[in-house]
Amino acid sequence: MSKTLTLEGDLATVDSRTIITAQGSVTAPSLVVPSGAKMIKRIIMAAAAEGLGDGSGVFFLRLGGNAVTRGEQTIMVSAAGRIAVQTGSDAAPMYCRAWTLEDADIEVTPSDTLTVAAEMAGSDLGTGRVVVTLIFE
Amino acid sequence: MPKLYRSREGEATALDTKTQLTTLGSETAPGPLLVPSGVSKLVGIVVAAMENFAAATSYSAFVRLEGPGLPEGPETFAAAAGGVPVATGGNFAAPAQFTKLDIPVTPANEILIFAEMAGTDIGQVSVGTTLIFE
Repeated sequence: MSKTLTLEGDLATVDSRTIITAQGSVTAPSLVVPSGAKMIKRIIMAAAAEGLGDGSGVFFLRLGGNAVTRGEQTIMVSAAGRIAVQTGSDAAPMYCRAWTLEDADIEVTPSDTLTVAAEMAGSDLGTGRVVVTLIFE
Repeated sequence: MPKLYRSREGEATALDTKTQLTTLGSETAPGPLLVPSGVSKLVGIVVAAMENFAAATSYSAFVRLEGPGLPEGPETFAAAAGGVPVATGGNFAAPAQFTKLDIPVTPANEILIFAEMAGTDIGQVSVGTTLIFE
């Protein structure tokens, strides 16, 4: 049986480990691994930035906490870039579709706590945004 | 069998130049990427790459894996290609790409990850790479 946990948050500063704990209207969802779950089997993820700074960068996840039995695991999510528009022009939107890492097979301990963090690395592209769904089995 | 995920990221800023990826965001010196104990294969790679659109041109980017952690020798992976007609107003995001692999590795030995920009110099390409071991 599968069970999901979705988390989202801002990445306000480049090269800064940012713990993400919110889920929209649910401000503090449980970070406890569901009982009976042994693995994070799949991960759905997306990240982009508002594009208020020039440059290029990548976004990645840090999955850790007591529940991750073999220590913190790091996974690249996406990459983004931006160059300033001409005066009087508007920038194009930045959009990153979500993608799914199948058979992630990250071992976890049921009833223990996860720490999910994310980072923007490279250039500071303005405030970044990340959303991730962990699918336990 | 659980999988283990190890990542590095960095910027390729010169054309046709091997650029080692040595950082991981807030970790500016995470040290060598060693093959974890208890694993025997590299079973996947996740690569994210994007340019900064600083020059009106096109480029491609790829990743090289080298080092004593790869007993069969170096490997290379296409990462991205892009371009922009004018160096004003580029703005884009792209999801990372996962590729399934079956490459033997040697535990406790280092794998070096390099990124390269090829074609013409677009300015800067950020590349992030995750190696998945089992």
